[in-house]
Amino acid sequence: MLSRQLGAGALRNAVSAPSFRLKNPLAAPRAFAQVRNASSASSSSPLESFLNSRITLVSVSLFTAGSVAWYTHLYGSLPFISQVHASHASDEGLHPPAYPWSHGGPLDTFDHASIRRGYQVYREVCAACHSLDRIAWRNLVGVSHTTDEVKAMAEEIEYQDGPNDQGEMFMRPGKLADYMPPPYANEEAARAGNAGALPPDLSLIVKARHGGPDYIFALLTGYVDAPAGVEVREGMNYNPFFPGGAIGMARVLFDGLVEFEDGTPATTSQMAKDVVTFLHWSAEPELDERKKNGIKAVILFSALTLISLYVKRFKWTPLKNRKILYDPPVDKTH
Amino acid sequence: MAISTTIYNTFFRRNSVFVATIFTGAFAFGIGFDTAVTTFYDRWNKGKQWKDIRDKYVQPADE
Amino acid sequence: MAFNGLKKAVTLTPSVRTLPSGVPAAPLLNLAARAPADPHAHGASGPRSDVAPRWAGGVSRTSSGLVSKSYITLPSTTPFTARFIHTSVAVKSAPEVPDFSHYRANDNDSNRALSYFMVGSLGLVSASVAKSTVTEFLKTMSASADVLALAKVEVELASIPEGKNVVIKWRGKPVFIRHRTQAEIDEARDTKWQSLRDPESDEQRVKKPEWLIMLGVCTHLGCVPIGEAGDYGGWFCPCHGSHYDISGRARKGPAPLNLEIPAYDFNDAEGKVVIG
Repeated sequence: MLSRQLGAGALRNAVSAPSFRLKNPLAAPRAFAQVRNASSASSSSPLESFLNSRITLVSVSLFTAGSVAWYTHLYGSLPFISQVHASHASDEGLHPPAYPWSHGGPLDTFDHASIRRGYQVYREVCAACHSLDRIAWRNLVGVSHTTDEVKAMAEEIEYQDGPNDQGEMFMRPGKLADYMPPPYANEEAARAGNAGALPPDLSLIVKARHGGPDYIFALLTGYVDAPAGVEVREGMNYNPFFPGGAIGMARVLFDGLVEFEDGTPATTSQMAKDVVTFLHWSAEPELDERKKNGIKAVILFSALTLISLYVKRFKWTPLKNRKILYDPPVDKTH
Repeated sequence: MAISTTIYNTFFRRNSVFVATIFTGAFAFGIGFDTAVTTFYDRWNKGKQWKDIRDKYVQPADE
Repeated sequence: MAFNGLKKAVTLTPSVRTLPSGVPAAPLLNLAARAPADPHAHGASGPRSDVAPRWAGGVSRTSSGLVSKSYITLPSTTPFTARFIHTSVAVKSAPEVPDFSHYRANDNDSNRALSYFMVGSLGLVSASVAKSTVTEFLKTMSASADVLALAKVEVELASIPEGKNVVIKWRGKPVFIRHRTQAEIDEARDTKWQSLRDPESDEQRVKKPEWLIMLGVCTHLGCVPIGEAGDYGGWFCPCHGSHYDISGRARKGPAPLNLEIPAYDFNDAEGKVVIG
């Protein structure tokens, strides 16, 4: 590249040198030095000018960089650099596809009817094994249920309270301030009831798993028979989306398992979608408000940026366009 | 030109009026902006939020 | 914009040369001229850099005649080069400035109004954003939702028979609810409350005359008084013997104030009282 520029520069000098010499005879000896350079400039052919052209250089560079980037995107590693993996790809679990969630977009709220159905699925199916410790009954009010509905649901469950006047603990019906009842009294009981596997708490499960809602949905709907050669221990189930492939939880969602009050057909994928929406809400109950605040913040701060730029230019204009003039003093006797 | 002069004389000439305009304007702007964004947000998410489906579940006794 | 290129080449004789001795010399400058007496000068001036020093040779005389004369002949190491002064700036009698009229506003009035409007808008939006920010920060200092959820207690009133006390827990403290009989109401109202230690009428202490709701914490040292006891048919604190009447007013003993009344509301539709 350097020699190419030099050649072009020398060529230009060689062309302009004679006229320069004519114009300014005094400078003639200096011009000779440049003419000497010009003698080393090679003659150009069409091929050479094509090879030397800037466009060729840029496009070849872009093509190379693009090919490498594309390969890396496709195969996940740089080309021609071999990698050694200690683990097999199946240990990571199958990568879940991206599903078009109703709350996926930057401006989209949760589908609250879906949250309501999802709560039903959780209550009738998941709650048999999974706790939801961080959600209180009152959290459902104004999200998926009315106050009266939630009160009625809470009162069906007995909570221990106390101590009373006699210093004894007693049972009372649930209140809005109570949290969702756990299915097991403690972790040991949960493990004992599930062949040693602890069903995780679902309050923050969408945030806690790589892939988020996509992963949970894929897991719930992804139960298949183990492929040939894969051995799954007794009591375990095969799920390609679960890291390692063998999961303690069996497939729980089957068509028609629950009956939705709004008449939505309870297919497996419908129930999975609803319960994942519900779990996503329980992990991010602030999502609706957060996205609304996001709209406001983006609008306000872009407006502030634009106006600030205008005001900066406005304030700097007299400084940048200032004309400095020397006005010599008339009184020379000073 | 006449309009801009009028605006200048009304709001900008006295600094006290200018600052007062800014603060009352900020108050009005805050409310208006909130309303506008909420309106847009509710329209964009029509039928998804709780307030859109609430009517289906409220018991008649409450109404 | 209008820079008319004007190039000039002027040949000047050099004003400074280097002597064969290696010392610079300026034949056209009057080196004998001394600087005017400088009142701030410090002491005698040192050797001048522009005069050949004595050791470099030359002619040395005294009053008796020539003392020494030495010549050093060296070829000049500095070639003589003609130096050209090139001026790329136009030499004109008056300075020429670019034309800035393109940048000038067409209408000064509207331009002024626009500038003030933009500055005002910046202040307006900033004030709005700052207000929202401050509000959000202040919101974090208020009670969180789970605390607020526990801050209210609902009590079914229908389950409390007339003339009975009920003690419930509210924010970790006992709350007395008494369903007063008509006789008790009359007794509470007939008391000359103006002369009491903490003068309060019964009307000030209850919202409905049959329901007396108050915090069950003795105002003396925080014990829990016993109901339906004491000299005045109300409450009696077993710790230090304070007596409260059927309106919860301190009547005897060390208690300085009446029993405190929490904030509460009646929910008539469901027959409940909401404390908090």
